[in-house]
Amino acid sequence: MLQLSLKKKLEGFSIDVDLELDEELLVLFGPSGAGKTMILKMVSGIVKPDSGRVAAGSETLFDAASGIDLPMRQRKVGYLFQDYALFPHMTVAGNIAYGIEGRTKDFIKEKVAELVSLMRLTGLEERYPDELSGGQKQRTALARTLAAEPRVLLLDEPFSALDYQVREKLRADLLNIHRMYPITTVLVTHDLEEAFMLGKRVAVINNGFIEQVGTQEDVFYRPRTRNVARFMGVRNIFSGMVAGFDGQHVMIDNPDIGTIKAPVLPGREFVPGNEVTFCIRPEEILVIRPDKVLGRVQDNILECEIVGTVGRGSTHILYLEAGEGRTPIKAELPNFVLRKLELAVGLRIRVSLKKENIWLIP
Amino acid sequence: MDLFPLYITVKVSLIATACTITVGLVLAWVMAKRAFWGKGLLDALIMQPLVIPPTVLGYYLLVAFGSSGPVGNFLEETLGIEVVFTWKGAVVAAFISSLPLFVKPARAAFEGVGADIENAARLLGKTEFEVIRTVTLPLAWRGLLAGAVMAFARATGEFGATLMIAGNIPGLTQTLPIAIYDAVQSGDYATANTLVGIITLFSFSVLYVAGRFSRVRF
Repeated sequence: MLQLSLKKKLEGFSIDVDLELDEELLVLFGPSGAGKTMILKMVSGIVKPDSGRVAAGSETLFDAASGIDLPMRQRKVGYLFQDYALFPHMTVAGNIAYGIEGRTKDFIKEKVAELVSLMRLTGLEERYPDELSGGQKQRTALARTLAAEPRVLLLDEPFSALDYQVREKLRADLLNIHRMYPITTVLVTHDLEEAFMLGKRVAVINNGFIEQVGTQEDVFYRPRTRNVARFMGVRNIFSGMVAGFDGQHVMIDNPDIGTIKAPVLPGREFVPGNEVTFCIRPEEILVIRPDKVLGRVQDNILECEIVGTVGRGSTHILYLEAGEGRTPIKAELPNFVLRKLELAVGLRIRVSLKKENIWLIP
Repeated sequence: MDLFPLYITVKVSLIATACTITVGLVLAWVMAKRAFWGKGLLDALIMQPLVIPPTVLGYYLLVAFGSSGPVGNFLEETLGIEVVFTWKGAVVAAFISSLPLFVKPARAAFEGVGADIENAARLLGKTEFEVIRTVTLPLAWRGLLAGAVMAFARATGEFGATLMIAGNIPGLTQTLPIAIYDAVQSGDYATANTLVGIITLFSFSVLYVAGRFSRVRF
């Protein structure tokens, strides 16, 4: 368990965060310069917060109010540095053994052997860090950290220096290891895919503040702020005026998009005339077949022009513009849909913003 | 031929270098790893002997270590040590003038050991002393060795400040560089050539051995 409440003034911005974790892996997600690494540094004791408190389990690591500030060596906090910070003058085995404390030689040997096999480092024990690949370095660093039996594990962009294939494999490894050693873990990343793959719970940080903490689905599909929506790749974020509200749906007027009908979570009230912000993910936008005759009256259909397409592997991004004000809309479609409908720049098409996929940002 | 100058030079240089390394390690570490008020001033002070004329440095030392000077008075009164015009004076001159040559590369070597690596060791449960012993020193030793060799070479060659504080007393304080000067002044080129040969061979060997040694891996 880890509780932290940290305040620190830095040049240009300040950090003010509160977080609580069980024996889980929490992803701390945010753009570069948001203060993610600084939070890890304050938890580990590398940087001293101006005020606040850090507690791991029943032990207080830092408490400004009562003057507690445990030195790094007593915190039992495992830290995986972004560039791993391996000891270049020690072998893989030497690095792993470094933090195993005051036991017999046999105990240390056994523990090193166990971690070497767990981390798939067999045969590399006598190599020096500069003789290892990026992935091997990362695994050695993780083994070294786990060897000291930390009660909290902090991972600072652990996959950022690796190439794509290695990254995939090591992410899966990390989840396995976390299942075997369920240590309270904070993983920092600015990679959306990584955040989604690893974190059941995600905390989105921006400019030193946590904008939202929640389950993956919450953060991804139900962003609480415009920034979170933006960081989560929602892209289509619009504002409009409340035109009507019937308790279950709200009607929103936007000059370019028209009138949009969106479902409302129970308990939320809307007053006509107020401004609201709503959003929809690019992959949730449906393109309607040009020849299709719309039978009954359907909600949220709008006409727009294709102004650009960009291939993205198995999908294509369609850049659309709607209305007089040419409001940009981004849609993501499987390649076969693009081919079948013969979508090309200059074409005018109808798209549907299905109402169950529209999210109203509170 | 009198080999006393060689003996006294080796003795003075070894002792001075030992002092330089001991004091210099602490200074270099503090300068590299700690932030404190007056750091720039301390740095300028340590580096002074590199830029002021050796005779000026010698004059300062003479005043400070003379029996009426603050340091000299203390040493004589409490410890009964006389510095001026003894071989100890030559040690002081060699020590002060070689200190910056050790501190500068040593500080750079310590700074080269990244904060992350040292913090990794701390977070693995090590005390400050253990971090220095097992991580900082083993990673910085090339720079430290280079600094020590430079300091030793500077100590063997010390002339101006040594002349001021230790004087030129044959058989007592006359070091090799001073003996060479003396020999040339009195037209004794045979002695001068021998001594020059010795010091040249010696300096060259030290640099060569140190260079070979620093390529050894760990």
